[in-house]
Amino acid sequence: MTNRIRVLRAEHDWSQAEVADKLGIARQTVVALEAGKYAPSLPLAFKISKLFGKPVEEIFDAESST
Amino acid sequence: MKSTNPTAVANRSYIAEMAVCMVAYVAVLVPAIWLLNRGLEGPLRVAVAIAPVVPIVFVFVAVLRYFGRTDEFERRMLLESLGIAGVITALLAATYGFLENAGLPHLSAWYTWAAFMGSWLIGRIIVARFYR
Repeated sequence: MTNRIRVLRAEHDWSQAEVADKLGIARQTVVALEAGKYAPSLPLAFKISKLFGKPVEEIFDAESST
Repeated sequence: MKSTNPTAVANRSYIAEMAVCMVAYVAVLVPAIWLLNRGLEGPLRVAVAIAPVVPIVFVFVAVLRYFGRTDEFERRMLLESLGIAGVITALLAATYGFLENAGLPHLSAWYTWAAFMGSWLIGRIIVARFYR
């Protein structure tokens, strides 16, 4: 699974630590998410969707494999 | 200013709780050994001998509390590292058990504890590298 978190974060000019604090997760989790190493749970995916104001399917792409 | 990120709060609480457990462990272990060396007899000897297990139980309570407070990714890494530790410990224990059949000396159960703690650390390193 790939995602556009890094791009969206850059658009908002947020650091990984800022995104981590906004989502209530660790910075290492943001790093793993951006690297596509970790697929978030559905609740976290929706929190990420709400944070960036975009639907889940515009952020995550389940088609591509990691 | 201290971070209010839930995972940072979980880390701080975990470190504080572990420190309390370690102090409690030493506070129980030292008098327990002293009492056992004084030749304590009967059921009380057994009770005193296993008393240091109580603070160790609280070590795992601290781990469980950390598990509940930290985020889902750290929870996953923690579980995976514990799984790796369980497999390594089981394999080491079974292997040495068979080696005892071949005549190697019988070892203390403490080695299983040490193997688990050591392999848990190895598990953490393996899991951290996997997700890097």
